[in-house]
Amino acid sequence: MSEHEFHPLVKQLLDGDITLADLPPALRAEGDEALRLLAAVDRSPVQLPAVSRRVMRAVASRPARSVWRVVVKPRELRLRFRPWLLAPALAIAAALLVFLRTPTAAPASLVTVRFVLVAPDAREVSLAGTFNQWDAHATPLIRSGPTGVWTATLTLPAGQHQYAFVVDGVRWVADPGAPAVNDGFGRRNSVLTL
Amino acid sequence: MRPEPEADGEIVRAVLAGDRERYAQLVERYRDRYARYAARMLGSADAAEDAVQDAFVRAFDQLSQCKEPDKFVGWFFLILRNRCFAERRRSRTEASLEAAETVAAKDRTDGGAETAERRRALQLALMALTPDQREVFVLKHVEGLSYGEIAERLSTSIPSLKMRMHRAYDRLREELREHK
Repeated sequence: MSEHEFHPLVKQLLDGDITLADLPPALRAEGDEALRLLAAVDRSPVQLPAVSRRVMRAVASRPARSVWRVVVKPRELRLRFRPWLLAPALAIAAALLVFLRTPTAAPASLVTVRFVLVAPDAREVSLAGTFNQWDAHATPLIRSGPTGVWTATLTLPAGQHQYAFVVDGVRWVADPGAPAVNDGFGRRNSVLTL
Repeated sequence: MRPEPEADGEIVRAVLAGDRERYAQLVERYRDRYARYAARMLGSADAAEDAVQDAFVRAFDQLSQCKEPDKFVGWFFLILRNRCFAERRRSRTEASLEAAETVAAKDRTDGGAETAERRRALQLALMALTPDQREVFVLKHVEGLSYGEIAERLSTSIPSLKMRMHRAYDRLREELREHK
């Protein structure tokens, strides 16, 4: 245990599982130090009154929703191959999106989409987008064979989605061959319209 | 007798049906509740303001994907959380220092200089943690949630949260000693 590590019993004290009196005398000083740390925690409320006005102004500028799609247009099978370079170390060759025709059993407003990324040197690849609340861990791509082809098949609601590939958990990469928009936070998101 | 507040689910359904003005009720209801989480995660009330605002706008844009309207707040929290994590990935250490100063400066009115200094030191130390560590510390010790509640909110296990937290304790101790 390094000199900076709290004793396990002191960690229990910090967790609220035991009290200072439960500590052996030799650990009381360390316990006091731990409680001083907690005493410095800032629990004062934070109020953001201006947020409501700004959010509602942004909301008012949005186009009207078309949430319920009754008529579903027939879809063509489209194949796009997009060579791109992520980084020399990764030597990722290309990104490929294949839109598959919706299976007949699927609900009318859903479309099955296959995402394919060729990334021979990546250790892991996932997909983050509006369809999974931008969770970089929610939709991992599966590596198929030694060629470095990573795939994930998703069934998504018809409409517009934004997404990015997340390579090795840290590198967010927009598809350079797809339309992209600035997400407002300094990142480019690919746009997929189904 | 005060009227019962309208359930989140009813408001979400009304907004999806086209009554977008009703979205203001959700913003008012949860704006400040999550402002503190964002401020402690990002180290700055200004950054928190941007994050909360962006999260609400993003939630509106994606509202049709909120599969359980009655659980809007849990869904919104995840959007805000991802926004905070993305913000931290982009931030620089110098920005954290400046941000902690900002938070501490705003606190000086309610606890005196010594309290403000201790808070500032802890906020700086918090910014040295990984976002995962900082989050579990903030949810437990700032927001007052139990490990069980945090595990449910983040869809993870209590042992993994405790491991994260215990590493955070050690790191905070190290940071606070180094900056004494």
